[in-house]
Order: sequence, then structure tokens, then C-alpha cells
Amino acid sequence: MLEGLVSQESLSLNSMDMSVLERLKWVHQQQQQLQQVVSHSSNNSPELLQILQFHGSNNDELLESSFSQFQMLGSGFGPNYNMGFGPPHECISRTSSCHMEPVDTMEVLLKTGEETRAIALKNKRKPEVKTREEQKTEKKIKVEAETESSMKGKSNMGNTEASSDTSKETSKGASENQKLDYIHVRARRGQATDRHSLAERARREKISKKMKYLQDIVPGCNKVTGKAGMLDEIINYVQCLQRQVEFLSMKLAVLNPELELAVEDVSVKQFQAYFANVVASKQSIMVDVPLFPLDQQGSLDLSAINPNQTTSIEAPSASWETQSQSLYNTSSLGFHY
Amino acid sequence: MERQIINKRKRVFSLQPNKNPNALFTRRYVSHLVPALKKINMNKSSSKTNHQSFEKTVKHEVDMAFALSAQEFAWSRFLQQKLLSSPHDDLISTSSSPSEILERSSKKQGGEKHQDRDEEGGEIKKRLKELQKLLPGGEEMNMEEILSEIGSYIVCLELQMIVLKSIVQDNTS
Repeated sequence: MLEGLVSQESLSLNSMDMSVLERLKWVHQQQQQLQQVVSHSSNNSPELLQILQFHGSNNDELLESSFSQFQMLGSGFGPNYNMGFGPPHECISRTSSCHMEPVDTMEVLLKTGEETRAIALKNKRKPEVKTREEQKTEKKIKVEAETESSMKGKSNMGNTEASSDTSKETSKGASENQKLDYIHVRARRGQATDRHSLAERARREKISKKMKYLQDIVPGCNKVTGKAGMLDEIINYVQCLQRQVEFLSMKLAVLNPELELAVEDVSVKQFQAYFANVVASKQSIMVDVPLFPLDQQGSLDLSAINPNQTTSIEAPSASWETQSQSLYNTSSLGFHY
Repeated sequence: MERQIINKRKRVFSLQPNKNPNALFTRRYVSHLVPALKKINMNKSSSKTNHQSFEKTVKHEVDMAFALSAQEFAWSRFLQQKLLSSPHDDLISTSSSPSEILERSSKKQGGEKHQDRDEEGGEIKKRLKELQKLLPGGEEMNMEEILSEIGSYIVCLELQMIVLKSIVQDNTS
């Protein structure tokens, strides 16, 4: 299904004398087709509905992430939301390999007559109906001019953005294919596109991802907004935990002479207590993969354990139940470095 | 009889229980802590019964077990180093009391009306410094690393809490 779209694209974009209007119309067709396809294949998942909404608004960054998810769907991997924003590489290379031909031809053409093309585009822009596209092409030509002096990989991205100014799928596919070790950040409208601010933005997004993850872990973080408040809560919580550990170890020291410690006994009972919390909350258990970044291979499906397993240990107080719930909560974000 | 069947159907165990990272941590922790405590018990009878030093040794063992059970993280390595170099220092110290934090938050509310953006950057930096003090090895990390390490630190602290509670409860009830 995807290949069909791609081949059509490559055919039409090879002919450079297609006017801008025609290209616009074609892209709208594409979008409609995509929307149809997505609506057919979507199983009412909220992520795909997001895709439909954001297709209309031409939001670049979300399109990138949503398109990657769509690719995952199309290739039969299934929506894998817990994998975070790191799409499987084979999937992308498969679809974007078809993009290489139009990209190359466009790049060659661009390098030969860059300024003339820019002028031609500006002239052709008069009959354009939509002013939004106009602003976008302006910005994209600027991007092209800036990135032309930079490295080849990045200049490809810039060039494809300018040349295929209305077909975002090719540029996205090409940029994904080129040099996968770079973190590709799409500049939104009206935002600076020089390398420093892009890097800054990527850094900020990483940080906000991590803050969201911490929000899931630390109870009570949802009510406070803003980084400072959340950091406060986190500090409080860590101090609380540390104090409790101290207190418990003191208690242990007091009890120590009378301890009847059998290792197997302790572990069994401890696990019963441990799982009793989770069973009491009646949630399905899916442990966070990103918590242990070295252990990415493990498939961590631990379903609910037999609730009949009564334990001699009482379930701890309500605050602890919620905390251990948060231990097992699925967080859709992964820390992929 | 029916209920048993239903419960049997509900019971699904993972094929690879060892890969569950939380269970892994707890198992390691228990396997480190319990023998250490037994050892302390045995040694206690022979050596002098000084309550404070005894507490310290228990605390030391607790921290040691904590650091050893989470080898994947940077903070655990730092903690280990600290423990090995200075065994009887008070490692987990509460650097800022809750009253200080309340002060800070009230200041923030007052100052919000004036310079919002300027204050915010400074506030965040203050808190990050606090966090750095709390996290073992936090002094040498930058902001991103701290944020990622803190997540795992918190979860491991919680797990440690569960283990200690269950041990204590086992022996009090």
C-alpha cells in the first residue's frame, strides 16, 4: 500500500516542469489517500486519530512521529506505542529506499541551478492560492540556502525540503534514511533553523521527555505544573524515601538479634508482599523497559498473578499501594538514546 | 471448584521471570542483604555491643546491598565507591529540611508576579543543585544525566523500601 503511494510520487516528481499548482493538487490527493488509508486501517486507537487530525494542520513534527507510527502499522509490526519514538530502522529503509531516486535527481538539478530555481519558484508563487504555502516555501528556501554550506547529509534534508516543497513525505523519508545517527529535528514555522537552536530544541525535548517519565514515577507530580515545582516534588520524594530507608535500617538494627532469617523464606514472603500490592490494585503488569537501558532485549510481560495466593503480610497503607502501582504503570515513553 | 478453574485460567506467569528488572533488583538486594545481616548477627555476639556502631554497620550493609544490586546505573557505582572508601560516614543525609523547601516555594509564589522568566531559571538551578546533593554521584553529572539517573534511583529506593519493610514486618508480627 505504501509502495503504491511512493511509486506514484517518484513518477510525478521526476518531471521538474510540473507547475507548483499541479504539485499542490497532487499533494492534496496524496493526503486524502493517506487519510482514507489511515481511517480504514485505524482501529480507533487514539494515536491514529491524532494522525488524522494533524494531517489537516500540516504540523511537521507530529507528522514525522505519526508517519513513523503509520509506517510501523503498514509494515505489519502493529502499533507499538510503548516503544517510544524510535521507529524500527528496517521499516523506514524499506519505504524510503524508493525515495532515493527522486531525491538524487532533485539534488543534482538543484546544485546546478540553485539561484535560478529560487527565482523561478518565487515567480511561480504568484498564481498560488494559499498564502500559507507561500510562507513555507520562503522559509524553506532560506533553509536551503543556509544548509547548502553545511555538511552533505544535512544539506540533502534542506534541499529536499525546498524542492519538494509541498510533498513532505519524500523529504521526511530521505532525511530519515540519510545518516541515521543524527537526531533529526524538524523546524516548525516561525522558528529559527540554525544548527544551534535545533540542537537546543532537541536537548529540551529530551529533557521534557525525562520530566514526563519522572512525573509518572513520583506520586503527586501531576498536580504541580512547571519544571521547578516538579523538581521540588521529586526532591521531597527522594528525601522522604531516603529517610524511610534510614528509619527502617535502624529498626532492623534494633530487631537484628532476634531475626530469624532464612533467605528463601524472606524472598518468598517479600515477593508475596510485593505482588500483593499489585494484585490489590488489579492492574496488568508491564514493567518499564526504559528503566534498565542495558536490558532492552527482555520482553517484560508479567501478567496478574493468582489472587488466591493469600499472604500473611498485610498490604501496606494506601500511599504505598499507589507508589507500587506507579512502579508498574506503563509509561508510553521510552528513553532511547 | 469453578472458582479454582477460573483462577487457574487467570494465572499466567512469564516465561522468563528473571528478566523483570524490578524483580531482578529485589532478588539481588535480598541475596546481598540477608547474608550480610546474618554475618553481623554472628559477629555481634563476639565483639562489643556498641549500639551506635552496630546501627552504623547495619546501615552500611543496607547501603552496600543497595549499591550492589543495581550495577547498571551510574549512581550505584558512585555509591559503591563512597561506601568502600569511607565505610562509617553518614552517607544518606538530608541536605535540606522540608522547611527550607516550603520557604522556597512561598518565595516563588511571591516572586512570580515580577520577573517570571528570570527567576525560573535560577529556581530550577537551585533545585537541580539540591538534587545533585541527594543523588550519589550527582556532583559530577549534568542535568540530563541527573534526570535519567534519578528515575532509576527512585524506583530502586522504593523496591528497597518494600524489602526492608517486609523483613521488619516478618520479625515483628
